[in-house]
Amino acid sequence: MRGIPTVLVTVSPEVSAQMRPPRALYPKGFKIGNSLGRPHMRALQRQVLTDALSLLSENTRPGEVVTREYADYGEQYDPPRVKG
Amino acid sequence: MTTLARKCVPFTPFDRELAKSNIAIVTAAGVHLRGQEPFNIADEMGDLGFRIITPDTDSSGLMVTHHHYDHADADADINVVFPLDLLRELEADKVIGGLARKHIGYMGYTMQLKAMYEGTAPEIANEIDRGSRADAVILTGG
Repeated sequence: MRGIPTVLVTVSPEVSAQMRPPRALYPKGFKIGNSLGRPHMRALQRQVLTDALSLLSENTRPGEVVTREYADYGEQYDPPRVKG
Repeated sequence: MTTLARKCVPFTPFDRELAKSNIAIVTAAGVHLRGQEPFNIADEMGDLGFRIITPDTDSSGLMVTHHHYDHADADADINVVFPLDLLRELEADKVIGGLARKHIGYMGYTMQLKAMYEGTAPEIANEIDRGSRADAVILTGG
């Protein structure tokens, strides 16, 4: 087994960063349960998914979470924090 | 102060064209087929199992069993955590090559972290590695 390239879409970036995922996208302000966006917002969902898939080929730093903003999402939510 | 995992980052290079690649979804959002056994939400230790979802699945045949996030939005549109219809769109538009032959749903909540890490996770990786023809995996949580 040579390994399988992965990309994570996370709405809990601090929690996910602890595990140092190989590639990860945080759509800023999305709430838990909305990894790709809100229901039936197909264009937004598609944008998040294609951005995530793009990270497969981009020169990201393994273990870091990339944050992107999506104005179409609307109301923003604070992600869960890791207790220090 | 965030504590980082001390394990190596399991980074596998992606050296293919996305337009020729098959993509698999692996989600911890508790997604499964309506006809499959639901995840056990009665056991506070969590459920270490996973369900295989084939690419010909009608997304209306999927549901969520998970008690540690509000899945009302996923109930209304499963694509918010399990983008099966979106991948089909990307395939039709030749953004990706196609869908892998297996996709996986599991319930990410568990108190049995060692068993999840040493048991469930490699079992899921093996399912994807064996016979799914996935070139890359998109991971989602709840």
